[in-house]
Amino acid sequence: MSDRSQLIETGVPFTFDAQRDAEFERLVKRYPTRESMILPALWLAQEQEGWISAEAIGYIADRIGTFASQVFEVATFYTMYNLHPMGKFHICVCRTLSCYLLGKQEIVDYLKRELGIKPGEVSKDGQFSLEEVECLGHCGTAPVVQVNGEFYENMNVDKLKELLATLK
Amino acid sequence: MAEKVKLFVNGQDVEVESGKNLIDAIGAVGIEIPHLCYHPALGADGNCRMCLVGIEDGRPPLVPACKTMAVEGMKVQLDTDKIKKIQRDIMELELINHPIDCPICDQAGECKLQDYYMEYDGQKSRMTVPPVAKAKHMDFGAGVVHDQERCVLCARCVRFTRLITKTGELGIVNRTDSARVTTFPGRPLANRYALNVVDLCPVGAMTSKDFRFKQRAWFLAKSESLCHGCSKGCNIYIDHNKEKYKDDIIYRFRPRLNQQVNGYFICDEGRMTYKLENDNRLNVAQVAGKETSVNEAVENVRRVFSQAKKIVMLISPNCSLEQMQAVKKLATANNAVVSGYSDGYIKTGDGDLFLIQDDKSANRAAFGLLGLDSSKAGFESALVEADLVISFQNDLCRSLDDADIAKIQDKAKIVYIGSYKDGLGEIAAITLPVAAYSEDTGIIINADNILQQYDVAVRKNDPAIDLLQIVTLLGGEFKNREEVLTDLSATIAALNNIDLKHIPSEGIALTDKEVSNVAA
Repeated sequence: MSDRSQLIETGVPFTFDAQRDAEFERLVKRYPTRESMILPALWLAQEQEGWISAEAIGYIADRIGTFASQVFEVATFYTMYNLHPMGKFHICVCRTLSCYLLGKQEIVDYLKRELGIKPGEVSKDGQFSLEEVECLGHCGTAPVVQVNGEFYENMNVDKLKELLATLK
Repeated sequence: MAEKVKLFVNGQDVEVESGKNLIDAIGAVGIEIPHLCYHPALGADGNCRMCLVGIEDGRPPLVPACKTMAVEGMKVQLDTDKIKKIQRDIMELELINHPIDCPICDQAGECKLQDYYMEYDGQKSRMTVPPVAKAKHMDFGAGVVHDQERCVLCARCVRFTRLITKTGELGIVNRTDSARVTTFPGRPLANRYALNVVDLCPVGAMTSKDFRFKQRAWFLAKSESLCHGCSKGCNIYIDHNKEKYKDDIIYRFRPRLNQQVNGYFICDEGRMTYKLENDNRLNVAQVAGKETSVNEAVENVRRVFSQAKKIVMLISPNCSLEQMQAVKKLATANNAVVSGYSDGYIKTGDGDLFLIQDDKSANRAAFGLLGLDSSKAGFESALVEADLVISFQNDLCRSLDDADIAKIQDKAKIVYIGSYKDGLGEIAAITLPVAAYSEDTGIIINADNILQQYDVAVRKNDPAIDLLQIVTLLGGEFKNREEVLTDLSATIAALNNIDLKHIPSEGIALTDKEVSNVAA
């Protein structure tokens, strides 16, 4: 996993739109403590903007009434939260044990060469973004690659070539 | 006294206090269990795994000592081969990405990683890949500098800001080997106790901007003392060093544990008052604006003292109990009035519910004990007809503005006997430097009526005369501190049963109950 702690500041204050605002208020009643809203609130922000900015994290912390550092911790822990604008196709490669042992590095190296970006970056044309992530829960069919949430299992460089050709 | 329980540690009988975890209980009898994340003020977190111990009662093979309470008859193993291997492995894990920059690290000499490496590890690195690079010398605010690469992620600092100050500025972001301590952008450390994270940090990840690169830890002499920054009387270590050909200089204050007073922490303002002890000192005697020797100044004070018709002795609430008593007796013998007027030492609304007090003086409670008046009205009525005002450490300029002081100067001569470059010292007719609390010994009573003693910590090349000696030179009846203590015990009812010559390090609570109970 790359360093995700360099948050992007938009310079524009963040607020939930009317729909997310109502959803926040609906969800907050489900939990015994307001801290429990950190995960769902981050999802709402990502749903609204496509990614989560520093302003959004600060807003969520103040809205919940917890420390910004705590929301920051959660947002950087889970790789499914996008902390910068993503490419049209967001490619995640699992780097945890099974995938590591079964050759995730070849896949990452190939993607770095092919797309010209490092994990954590977005290609210049905005088409692709790449991320190395922790266990995706498909260890039995390692190594796995995820494109926009869709799983591709038992991957190798040849299969990846075919896959990339379809992503346009 | 807490109940005792019997344990068998490494097959040896040990009697420890019950109700404590194994680290504290066994640690109290001198057997160390290594730990990085556990701290008695922050509770057990169980994340470092250095304190794993074996217990022979059918539990899982190993348990963290920080989360295991001492129970009667428990058989604890600390040094089986398996435990030693785990300790070695954890040390290796902690050192994988550690920069090992001890030669330029401020923590060197008081670093848990260094100590534990020598004690429990001692192997060469097997790492062949480059370590993970993280940010260095990050300014976290409030004078705290952070080095992410040295961090062992024990989360003591994070827990301190969440549990103790409840400001929560710090968090551990990312996961796995990218994990690091940081602040949220735009919300830096901003609490009045922030520098405690530097003491809490077991390694060199948190350093003090003020102290870093000034001294190596092993050169510092660590003397016990009491902070005089406010009326809490927090227990501190004065870390000082006298370099060759130089003077004895204080480099930092650190908190010293006293559960009865300050616990494990001190505030940042108090911590920084060490600078006053070094730099803001009155070093030369002056008579009518001209530098003189101390002896000459003393002679001058004696002369004006004997010629004055009516004297007001202004005593500071920072003076020790002995100094106050000596001045009080001197005043009585000379028909002078003692006033403790010092409203300027109180910053109303500045205190909080933790340690910081409104009253920025250390010993105001002693005024009450000795029956010294500190009201403005009392001071003003004493001034009528007065032709000499002798201030003992009391910086009147804090309490009165220039015009009021000029009015006093019209009628009376002002003599200032003090340790610091205060406003009053600059305008007084005679100024006479005396030893500050870091160079002196004395008793102070804090805002909660706890009586504590501080001792000489710093020994200057050219030591200043202490205030008690000055009082003696002015004709005071006490020849030394012991005589004052004997007199205090005899004449002050609340101190009758207290042995002032042997005050325990945790202090004595001066409640009615305690006073009647303390027989010895």
